[in-house]
Amino acid sequence: MSSPDHAVVSTGRLAQSPHNVFQRLGIDGPLTIFGGPIYWSLFALILIAVVLFPLYGSTFAALNFTNFLINAPVALGLALLWGYCGVLSFGQVAFFGIAGYAYGVMAINWGLGLGTLLAAAGALGLTSLVAAAFGYFLFYGRVSSWIIPVLTLVLTLVLETFLGQTAGLEWRIGQAQLGGFNGMTNIPSLTLGSLTFNGYSLPLFYLVVALIAVILIGLRVLANSHFGHVVMAIQEDAERTELLGYDIRRYQLVVFTIAGFLAGLSGVLYATWGNFIQPSSVGLLAATLPVLWVAIGGRRSLSSVLIGTIALSALSDALAVYSGDLAFVVMGALLLFGMMAAPDGIVITILRSLAKLLVRRPL
Amino acid sequence: MSDTPRRGADAPEIPNQDSSLAVDSPRRTSIAGTRRQFLAGAAAVGAAGAIGFPAIHVKAATTGQVKFGLLEDQSGNFALFGLPKLHATQLAIKEINDGFTLLSGPTGPGGTGKDGAYTELVDVLVQSNDKGILGREVKLISPDPQSDPRMYQQLTKRLGLQDEVDVIMGAFASANREAMRPVIDQMKKMYWYNNQYEGGVADKYTFCTGAVAEQQIIPAMQYCIAKFGKRIYIPAADYNFGQLSAMWTRAMAPLLGGEVVGQEFIPLSVTDFTSTIARIEQAKPDWLMMYITGQNHANFYPQANAAGLKRPMGSSINLAQGYEHKRFAPPALAGMNVAVSYMEEIPTPRNQAFVKRFRAMFPDEPYIQQEAHSAYVATHLYAVACRLAKTTDQNAVMEALESGIGIEAPAGWMFMDPATHHMSQHIRMASCDEKHNITFVQEWPSIEPWWTRRLGVNLVRTPEFKQYTPADDPAFKKFL
Amino acid sequence: MAGDLFNLAYQFLVNVSFLMLAAMGLIIVLGMLNIINLAHGEFIMMGAYTATLSVHAGVPFVVAVVLATIVVGMIGAIVELLIVRRFYANKLNALVATFGLSLILSQGTLLLFGPYLRGVSMPLGGFRVGQFSYATYLLVVAGLAFVLIFALWLLFYRTRLGVDMRATMQNPDMARALGVNTSRIYTFSFALGAALAGLTGALYAPTTTIVPLFGTAFIAPAFITVVIGGGANPLIGALASSSLLSVVSTPLSSQYGTFAGRIGLMLAALVIMRFLPDGLSYYLQAALLRRRKARPESSR
Repeated sequence: MSSPDHAVVSTGRLAQSPHNVFQRLGIDGPLTIFGGPIYWSLFALILIAVVLFPLYGSTFAALNFTNFLINAPVALGLALLWGYCGVLSFGQVAFFGIAGYAYGVMAINWGLGLGTLLAAAGALGLTSLVAAAFGYFLFYGRVSSWIIPVLTLVLTLVLETFLGQTAGLEWRIGQAQLGGFNGMTNIPSLTLGSLTFNGYSLPLFYLVVALIAVILIGLRVLANSHFGHVVMAIQEDAERTELLGYDIRRYQLVVFTIAGFLAGLSGVLYATWGNFIQPSSVGLLAATLPVLWVAIGGRRSLSSVLIGTIALSALSDALAVYSGDLAFVVMGALLLFGMMAAPDGIVITILRSLAKLLVRRPL
Repeated sequence: MSDTPRRGADAPEIPNQDSSLAVDSPRRTSIAGTRRQFLAGAAAVGAAGAIGFPAIHVKAATTGQVKFGLLEDQSGNFALFGLPKLHATQLAIKEINDGFTLLSGPTGPGGTGKDGAYTELVDVLVQSNDKGILGREVKLISPDPQSDPRMYQQLTKRLGLQDEVDVIMGAFASANREAMRPVIDQMKKMYWYNNQYEGGVADKYTFCTGAVAEQQIIPAMQYCIAKFGKRIYIPAADYNFGQLSAMWTRAMAPLLGGEVVGQEFIPLSVTDFTSTIARIEQAKPDWLMMYITGQNHANFYPQANAAGLKRPMGSSINLAQGYEHKRFAPPALAGMNVAVSYMEEIPTPRNQAFVKRFRAMFPDEPYIQQEAHSAYVATHLYAVACRLAKTTDQNAVMEALESGIGIEAPAGWMFMDPATHHMSQHIRMASCDEKHNITFVQEWPSIEPWWTRRLGVNLVRTPEFKQYTPADDPAFKKFL
Repeated sequence: MAGDLFNLAYQFLVNVSFLMLAAMGLIIVLGMLNIINLAHGEFIMMGAYTATLSVHAGVPFVVAVVLATIVVGMIGAIVELLIVRRFYANKLNALVATFGLSLILSQGTLLLFGPYLRGVSMPLGGFRVGQFSYATYLLVVAGLAFVLIFALWLLFYRTRLGVDMRATMQNPDMARALGVNTSRIYTFSFALGAALAGLTGALYAPTTTIVPLFGTAFIAPAFITVVIGGGANPLIGALASSSLLSVVSTPLSSQYGTFAGRIGLMLAALVIMRFLPDGLSYYLQAALLRRRKARPESSR
């Protein structure tokens, strides 16, 4: 709980009129660590560079990159949940899996074109409902916060166990075979008119980039709003917030649902990218990945988490290609020493140092 | 304990991964140099993005190295199976680059019949009169998919689009193969699956060199029913392979004079088999058809043994694939009988020569398992097909593979069936005794992969891109 | 009938002892240090590897088990000193760090020892009751699990060290003020947790194949048991939790197959965690304390 980030809150800044255009828009504020003109210039530059990437880079590299970007929504959702609300959930991948499978089942049954759009909407809707239900169970039941990580992990493992044994032919919903450990295959990609969003062409790349930009800005606005301030207050001292008259359970539930929705978004994107979903995407290893991305990125900053997630996914990919059997050792060492050297998160520590160099006033 | 069994002293300079080829696409230029394109292309971005890019059709190079893409697990759950396959491929590539090949042709060379009895040839590794394939060195590119389906998809794309390999081989678990196949089909790349599995893949671009259900389950059942009796109990892993194999067993039992008295599907995570052992004893079968798989299920054998469950066991996947007779202390696997397409213990002179070559290159290899053999054969067969087609261009090579060719594998003569893209197998019944010694008690020199033919699959006439299951087969319903 | 009852009882005992042994080390670390050690599975694996290698080197099995326990305990002490103690202020980061450690340990084992080790045979054979046959060794392990609980009880409640440990658990600052070397207690606790994991691995080594991912079979059940048991009182927690879970899963697994048993276990876990969020041990301990308060003459 590093107080320098939030000292600004106590100076009553909220009561004063916002200083600059960013704060007026709500995309900057006391609760988003990095901001200001330099940040947004960099943001715009990076966005342009990424959007134009296929022109100067290979198509393959763009498609490869899409796979990393697909991890961003689930990581950003967890960053909101953990960094702002203080709830560590190991179960985000469960929502990833539910959405992926739901999209698969619906898309296979409803066919191409409009069917896939309905499937995406349906999958996201279903996932949000499940997230809300589970959130209700957690927060309105006043489950103590140290249990939530393991409770959500158990949810994930139950789901994986269930999905893993759906190999029999009786496990089908309409025309969609659940497939057990072999997974559900031949999932049609999202199509919109003549555009197909799959892992072999660029429309998906642009879609994911656009979505991430929207999500990042949206979450920043949310964080800097009144809602976001209450959520942060809950993390800092739940009892005090309650005594001030807020129903903390409601806020936690909303945040949990948003995180579940975002995880589901990643799931749908994965299903349309790979046309395939399997129980191992809901397994123990998969469950730890979002936590790792957020921990290494630095859970207090959405931008750090975004960068960290992409960097770690790319690293994992590179290790698989170039160092084969050393991949896990290198990754493990990174986690271990990263946590020892930079407990707040590696990326956020680096960015803070950079920010101190670039900007005269301390962040 | 000995060093990790990866490369022997005589290992050639074939690297595991080819970093020089994987990083730089020839089309990428530095950002500074293309600033003009950068700015000018802004307007074109929208249009380009909207159209998207069609699937990449890779033209085969005719000079330079032959790029051989391999995806075998070097870490994660399946490293136990992936590492021997990697080594076998490395051995085959070394032999190809050194100018050797396996005897091949449209029919077997015919052996040297003595006294009217067929004796197979011993020296089947002969000079190819070629250096590498068509004068070009074969370069192995083998990233590590870490037993993860998503990684398989990602790396398949990389091999096809970035490294532009001439062929892709690999995958152990069916889940990983099924994750790869849509990618393969989209990229229209030739893919070889060199593993035994439940059967049913009918895919224009996929060639399977491992044994399938009709080649292993039926002989195993035939032997065990004749030797032990007709009452069968099936403990199966609750997993596609287990479910489908159990289905095959139930369907074939009436035809072979057997009777399934019970079956159960055990989740992959289970480690305690007390209840299973109890149920088996209640059912009083004559023998067990074992379809359990995975690390946790391996617990069954010591537990059953200690509990005194002395029933003979039949299987299509043990011993040869997971070399349990080496990993477990005797007599855990006593009474296990498996129909195998290959085992290191096969006593024929040609196999012993192969084993010698393998161990010369990899002295610390724990065991040369069945799938390593399939990988070895596949690699050589690929070279043979390229030479027959006189090019590495994929379509020509696929036509060569569909022209009716076979190869003298260490296990025996194997023939690539044009219609099904699967191979005939020389099947042996391996029996394991209390000391974990293997004897081969029965042999079927050539069993064809006939099942998908029964379903009307003929990939030469009609391309398909799917996997059939017994549910698609009306004949199964008659007997289920 | 008696045969069926014995069958159920045997399965119950085997399940309970498995859960207890898998979870014991984790519970002690959680109760004492409030840290979830994700490398627990790898400690179990190292116990199995140590025992197996010792047996192959000619050491008798019993000695190998003891050796494995000590070796892994020492490794645990080193891990605590070098790594874990940096995270006492930041418990959730310990989770990430221990996960990193587990990756290094399991992959490192694969690189050093190859994909498997030749196994150890299960000693003691089997016996029959009625129409069923059983492995004797698993019953012995079950017995050992209960002996272990008793030994730990002795440690916690009848030794000076145990008093110090309980004091540190309840109020570290006060304990320190009274002269307890809490730092050493923490090291010892983590080492004890690791040693118990090593013991578990060594004991279960003859039942299965020795591979680098040996620990994965124990992790999920261990976590479930730990969370239900809670850290308030490790002994009561482990005992109550594993018993309760086995009561649920054994009949299910016996009647409907192992999948039903597994699902039943996990659903029971979810329900219990929802309604008893502080863990079973908290409520049981509170109940015990209430009983004790009603009897003023007992001193403890």
